[in-house]
Amino acid sequence: MSIMSITSSHSSTPLASRSLARRVFDRAVASPGFRVGAAIFLALMLATALYPELSAIDPTKMDVKARLLPPLFTGTNWNWGHPLGTDQIGRDMLVRSLVGLRYSFLIGMASVIVMLIVGCALGTVAGYFGGRTDAVIMRLTDAQLSIPMIILAIAVLGVSRPTIPAIVLVLGMSNWPVYARMMRSIVMTERQREFVRAAKIGGSTDLRIIVTLLLPLLLPSVLFSSVLDVARMMIFESTLGFLGLGVQPPTPTFGNIIADGRKYLLNAWWIATMPGLFLGLTLTSINLMGAALERARDTVHAGGE
Amino acid sequence: MFTLNFLIRRLTQGVVIIGLVSLLIFTLLRVVPGDPVRLMAGGMAPEALIEKIAKDMGLRDPIIVQFGRYMGSVLQGDLGQSFVRPANGAATGGANFNDTTRGERAKVLTLILEALPMTLQLAAVTLAIALLFSAVVGIAGGLNPGGWPDKLAFYISSVFISLPNFWLGIVLTLLLSVKLGWLPAIGYNGFAYTILPAVVLAVEMSPVLIRTLVGAVSSQMTEPYVSVGRVRGLGRTRIIANHVMRNASVPLLNLLGIQFSSLLGGVIIVEYIFDYPGLGLLTINAVLQRDFPLIQGIAIVTSAIFVVINIIVDLVATTIDPRLDY
Amino acid sequence: MAALLELRNMTVALGRSETAKVILDDVSFSLAPREIVGVVGASASGKTVLSRAAVNWLEPPLTRRSGTVLFEGRDIYAMKEADMRALRQRVSYVGANPMGALDPTLPVGAQIVEKMRAVMPDVSRRQAEDRVIALLDAVRIPSARNRFHDYPSQFSGGMMQRALIVDALVTNPSVLVADNVTQPLDVTVAAQVIRLIKELTDQFDTAVLFISSSLPMVREASSRTLVIDRGRIVEEQATEALVASPIHPYTRELVAQTPQIWRGAGAVPALPAEREVVLSLRDASQTYRVKKRNGIGGVNLVRAVRNVTFDVWRGDSFAIVGESGCGKSTLMRLLSRLELPSAGQILCEGKDIATLRGRDLLAFRARLQLVLQDPFGSLPPRTSIGRMLEEPLRTHGWRDKEKLRARVLKVMSEVGLAAELYNELPLGLSAGQRQRVNVARALVLEPTILIMDETLSALDQAEQFKLLDLFQALQKEYNLTYIFISHDLAMVRKVCNRVAVMYLGEVFELADNQRLFFDPGHPYTMALLSAMPTLEEKRYKPEDCLLEGEPPSPLSIPAGCSFKSRCPRAMEICNGEQPFLTVRDEQDFAACHLVARTMSPAERASP
Repeated sequence: MSIMSITSSHSSTPLASRSLARRVFDRAVASPGFRVGAAIFLALMLATALYPELSAIDPTKMDVKARLLPPLFTGTNWNWGHPLGTDQIGRDMLVRSLVGLRYSFLIGMASVIVMLIVGCALGTVAGYFGGRTDAVIMRLTDAQLSIPMIILAIAVLGVSRPTIPAIVLVLGMSNWPVYARMMRSIVMTERQREFVRAAKIGGSTDLRIIVTLLLPLLLPSVLFSSVLDVARMMIFESTLGFLGLGVQPPTPTFGNIIADGRKYLLNAWWIATMPGLFLGLTLTSINLMGAALERARDTVHAGGE
Repeated sequence: MFTLNFLIRRLTQGVVIIGLVSLLIFTLLRVVPGDPVRLMAGGMAPEALIEKIAKDMGLRDPIIVQFGRYMGSVLQGDLGQSFVRPANGAATGGANFNDTTRGERAKVLTLILEALPMTLQLAAVTLAIALLFSAVVGIAGGLNPGGWPDKLAFYISSVFISLPNFWLGIVLTLLLSVKLGWLPAIGYNGFAYTILPAVVLAVEMSPVLIRTLVGAVSSQMTEPYVSVGRVRGLGRTRIIANHVMRNASVPLLNLLGIQFSSLLGGVIIVEYIFDYPGLGLLTINAVLQRDFPLIQGIAIVTSAIFVVINIIVDLVATTIDPRLDY
Repeated sequence: MAALLELRNMTVALGRSETAKVILDDVSFSLAPREIVGVVGASASGKTVLSRAAVNWLEPPLTRRSGTVLFEGRDIYAMKEADMRALRQRVSYVGANPMGALDPTLPVGAQIVEKMRAVMPDVSRRQAEDRVIALLDAVRIPSARNRFHDYPSQFSGGMMQRALIVDALVTNPSVLVADNVTQPLDVTVAAQVIRLIKELTDQFDTAVLFISSSLPMVREASSRTLVIDRGRIVEEQATEALVASPIHPYTRELVAQTPQIWRGAGAVPALPAEREVVLSLRDASQTYRVKKRNGIGGVNLVRAVRNVTFDVWRGDSFAIVGESGCGKSTLMRLLSRLELPSAGQILCEGKDIATLRGRDLLAFRARLQLVLQDPFGSLPPRTSIGRMLEEPLRTHGWRDKEKLRARVLKVMSEVGLAAELYNELPLGLSAGQRQRVNVARALVLEPTILIMDETLSALDQAEQFKLLDLFQALQKEYNLTYIFISHDLAMVRKVCNRVAVMYLGEVFELADNQRLFFDPGHPYTMALLSAMPTLEEKRYKPEDCLLEGEPPSPLSIPAGCSFKSRCPRAMEICNGEQPFLTVRDEQDFAACHLVARTMSPAERASP
């Protein structure tokens, strides 16, 4: 400790007022993992937003003449017009993948937002008030956690035509317990702190303390974890699609493209694998960014700066 | 004494949880549209007959009554009979509505007990592979924060977690089974059939394990007792092996408990893809066929397993770290 | 006597470059067997680095630039790793932070055994266990055989420190380096530890290097003292000679600054002329129900505060003192209404604070404020200072931005904080500045009563003085009433006019400053005063006031007087009847049968 106090009195400026969240962010951005991820992600986002319209290829239109074309540099009759090849009825794989990416990403983000709201609210309440409230909420999370998302999704969505709001809801509801637990444990430690006690002495009500003191402190670290969950939700969404429970054809999503392509695995392997590669790339970029953020957060919180 | 107290408390809570889950699934199934009777009787059956069959099966009674009846028989060990699968193991699907051999249905308990060991075997192999791999990568990463093992762990976990399990299954099948012929893929005909599915599941599990290990090990290394241990005369190996690993395993254990739920989700998909005759495959088919009793039975069994695993995990955690209070 | 441990021209810097800051500058001294050598210095003087350099425990970024350490003539820095590890048997180190030093997941005894067998591989498990238990007993840890199997979290700070001393001594080392080991301990426990160290030098010829930032503490322990200032040894003398006639100006300054307790303490604060009661406790008690860890259900009752009764007058600087576990923290929570008492009443200006609601409660909060102990944990890290200070006002309904800002700036200037800090985060502030923010936050509502909960313990001497001056000025200006909760009797002697001594939840004695220090009525007070380290001649001899072992557990407070197990003057009656606060001359009270006995029945009326 004496070592630390010696160094800190010399290196940091007396009034360094960069907020904690900012420092975490800066540290993460400086790491190579984040940069690689961000670069890939930005490229993909641009492609997703612009390419389908620019290339004027309709992802759902059949073009029997161009069926089963292999991707670039493989097989016999590949061409530049269809860089990732075409499927069994001639639809361009690249455009389909990019459109699928749009849906995946939107659904991923939306479900994470649902998760955050429900999970953090319940977790904060459980952690702050403790006692019976806590026990009830914790058992609720246990019950929720013992129903795998897949089963819930199949049960709910396997029934009628799944709509996007329903998918978002199912995904969000299946995962809020993790955030609830996270918030709960953080709130439980933080509420013992002296400044919470000071606020109580000053006369603040519980609600005021939670909203003005605790939430701004705790949300940033939770948010950094949520980036990774966007990726997870995107995988779930494609899993649902694979099982036929996601967004329905003819709208292309990763899941239903791969499910479709499974039949042609032996002679047109690219139909099933290319979209997956694409998804994998997107997810890797998001995961690199998210993991870098999480790491930075853990380092800064442990006193690294 | 403490253990007994703990067990009693947790088991009671566990029973409540299982009850909650059952009620949830039970209600969900009956509330959500899609009539199992219609599925069983076939699309051509007249309305009146459907109603009669439904009434006979008790499906038109109020939900609470149905639930009560169901739980009553569960407590006696009878999980009911499948709506769909015949006892003789013939292919599923609705026969004609007036086919009298429809009468003999497989007992849910039997179906589950046939499938459970397969899934347990899959889970065991998965855990073995995942833990071994994650331990090697994770511990190396945690002991060298900032060094190349750390970076390697980071990239490996980021990539692994980005691979959709169904896609990976397809790709690995293509490569290892079709093209290279090293491992068998579809169905089950010997232990070797477990390996490929287990690899896919292990790839899915590892990232979280690796990340947790790296975090836990590296944060333990900064704890005062590590450097104080050096001045007390303990060697580095001893400190790491006896103390750091002990402490780092607690968050890992916690994680394993939570991971079980997502593992189950992965098992379902993977068994579906590889046609592996375990609980997962049973579940998917059951849900797609609206086979109520089977779904309920599986729900009860899985939530019971979940409760037991969590209790074991928490018990082991308190044994290792006495500061914890569960 | 040949030197056992010798430091020669040790220079340590913070980093490898030429311009790195030098922490230790050419330090040389030696240690002979059976000697206790003290090293005293201020907080950043380099004494911890010195203690670590002496045992070859310099971790990066600390780098040894030159010089070395010889143990029995061998250079410990030139040794191989394995030899150094073997040397740990002969050279032991105990540091200041007992709580993090052992693995929290293994029992304490097992870890000490592990250490012993790591450096002395020939010893069998059985032998090691026996030795550890014997030593735990020697440091007076109660029921050593059971404690052997307990985990670090079940040990109090004082016990853990003693366990670590056992860990250091288990191998019969020739040299023991004790770095600030008494700082986290209560006065009486510290006295026990020092006594133990002295006994061990007698028994085993151990040489001890005793490091502390408190000169009185060093005086208690050592025969020869070194003074270190900014990395250099500025003086070295026999301890008594150093205290009597210090040579170097720094040492002279150090001696002059040490607060005097017995001789000429200067003017001690007087009792207020009018006795207007602002706060009154009537039989206040607090009992906690703690679930039993073993067994099914059932609760243990922890009686943290028991039947406390006293009045606080306007203008008082009232002190509540006691050692760890005496209940003063709980009492603080009761006074500030963070908790409600399970029995009894607390009246503020006549009204029972437990019954206050709504507007009245808010008004109470404005009148009675608390200044907290931990300068780092008590300020929300992501709120600006101005915002922090505005918060209490906002809670009380202030809306006008101009008025808010004006009031906050006024308070900031009163406590000595620069106005520019208004928009800054607390990130770069020193401990002293942070405490000022805490004081400002308490003052912003213009309270009449301020509770100071160990407010100064985390600060060093110089900062403490400055803040005490601030408190005095504020008190004079606003006629504030202070309640100090502290374990620092020297500070209390200087600052407070009335003192209440607590033990195991009860108030044992309540007297004005002069009376308490010079004519205490309770044996515990006398023992406490005798254990206080000081540079002057001690007024009460520790040998007369014997204080052994630990206080009884709050889970099972014995019948009769709770002090009887450790009281040198316990009588028959102490086993049966619990003594109550009895009057001694008007307004001084002591809860002891000795006092009661010498009172006439008429005077024995309780307050």
